[in-house]
Amino acid sequence: MNRYVLGIESTAHTFSASVVSSHGEILSNAKSVYVAPKGSGIHPLEASRSHASSAASLLGVAIEESGIGVGKISAVSYSMGPGLGPCLRVGAVVARTLCSLLEKPLVPVNHAVGHIELGCLVTRSKDPVVLLVSGGHTMVISHSGGRWRVLGETLDLTLGQLLDQFGRHAGLASPCGGEIERAALRSTRYLGLPYVVKGNDVSFSGMLTAAETMLDAGKRFDDIAFSIQETAFAMVVEVTERALAFTGKKEVMVVGGVAANRRLSRMMSAMARRHSARLRGVPLEYSGDCGAQIAWTGYLAHSKGVEVPVNEATVSQSWRLDSVDTPWRS
Amino acid sequence: MGRVLIYRGAEADVSKGEWRGLEAAFKVRKPFAYRHPALDRMVRRQRTGREAEMLKSAKSAGVSAPYVYDVDTGASTLVMEFIEGRRLRELALSSTQGLFKMFEEMGEEVARLHGSGIVHGDLTTANVVRRAGRNVYLDFGLSMHTSKVEDHAVDLRLVKETLRGAHSAISGLAFGRLLAGYSSVAGESRAKRVASQLRNIERRGRYARVV
Repeated sequence: MNRYVLGIESTAHTFSASVVSSHGEILSNAKSVYVAPKGSGIHPLEASRSHASSAASLLGVAIEESGIGVGKISAVSYSMGPGLGPCLRVGAVVARTLCSLLEKPLVPVNHAVGHIELGCLVTRSKDPVVLLVSGGHTMVISHSGGRWRVLGETLDLTLGQLLDQFGRHAGLASPCGGEIERAALRSTRYLGLPYVVKGNDVSFSGMLTAAETMLDAGKRFDDIAFSIQETAFAMVVEVTERALAFTGKKEVMVVGGVAANRRLSRMMSAMARRHSARLRGVPLEYSGDCGAQIAWTGYLAHSKGVEVPVNEATVSQSWRLDSVDTPWRS
Repeated sequence: MGRVLIYRGAEADVSKGEWRGLEAAFKVRKPFAYRHPALDRMVRRQRTGREAEMLKSAKSAGVSAPYVYDVDTGASTLVMEFIEGRRLRELALSSTQGLFKMFEEMGEEVARLHGSGIVHGDLTTANVVRRAGRNVYLDFGLSMHTSKVEDHAVDLRLVKETLRGAHSAISGLAFGRLLAGYSSVAGESRAKRVASQLRNIERRGRYARVV
């Protein structure tokens, strides 16, 4: 019998609710994205206010679009972490209220695991090496021994933060990735930037300083944007390649907000070809933060008995991806 | 004697051949089609030169590594002694006898490198070959001179990540033995500082702080 799970995502700038079925159909995926004022970053409290005010109507949209009655929902899942405290708490409150009202079980989901599992669902990927690149994460991940394991990551800024902070330095509003991608297309002039790979880890803080200094010295924004993309993306593709060679796996998947960048996915696909691996492209709608990642992973976890009593359903701002057991994968 | 490809790595191909009558490994860093040509040349040249230099430094620090026979940074090619043996990665996957002792020795050797101001930069179990009862270290392309606690901690963190990622069943015990070995050479107080820095890095890396 088909079962339905409602998932709620609210780790950072996106508040989203989605209904999925146990067959893996995504019946709805309603989103509202908080946009920070120009030149400034995401303010956790402001974002959480925006989430709180859009929560009720979004839930309505998610349930209506799914075409199933609210009574058919068999569990509610929410992103317990990692993320920004005030934002996470909005999602947790909404989820607790809803499952008390419906008298249905509550399932906590790790946001990063959610990105990966939804990516696997929509690309039919079985056992990929995953690059998770967003404002909150820059990690190379693969599954072994019952968990998703981190094989490499950033030592300081995430890739999303690098793009956003450089963009804001130039007066753009976060998220700046799209603007930087368009600027990069207008240039072919490579300016040397620090390329810092340490083992399987990367570091971007030196690149950010160098790029900001270039901009202040009057170099063209487009040229710097091009050079940041070329350098930073080559770094993350290189560490993904190392993980692929090391694990011997044959699928590569890129998820997270920065996965939307076409230059990054072209570089990744050239790399994958060299290793006769398949690049699993996650469609834009499902690569960034969304409720479907929480709903689907909530279904997977709940099918193996994972749930949490309402009075213990807190949030965990720095919940490690590699501390989550994944019984649905064994 | 022609060259035979023996290893296709992420960044370089290694083939076995002959160099002036000696059995040798030829490591060629290949151009990356996905990398901008200017950036690509810079990275390959830098790493080839650095690797040659660091292989020599490692030997001076008392750690086994291949002899360098020849370097051509322009062609990003390194010719070195061929090391016959099995990778620690294979040995760990087949849970060989005496495995934990190998990790303890690895800890001692890494401490010796660090003590001489060298970080290997790529301490995966695929880069350690067991020959005649000793660990031989390969692939110094990402290594550098540094005595900072932070850099030494990053070096050890890769070992830990590799163990967790590829050898999760033995990772706790293996890393514990490695730290014990490290501590026996680096001294307890230095080892404690490096271990505590390692924990700091893990904490800050898992989820970005909001800046």
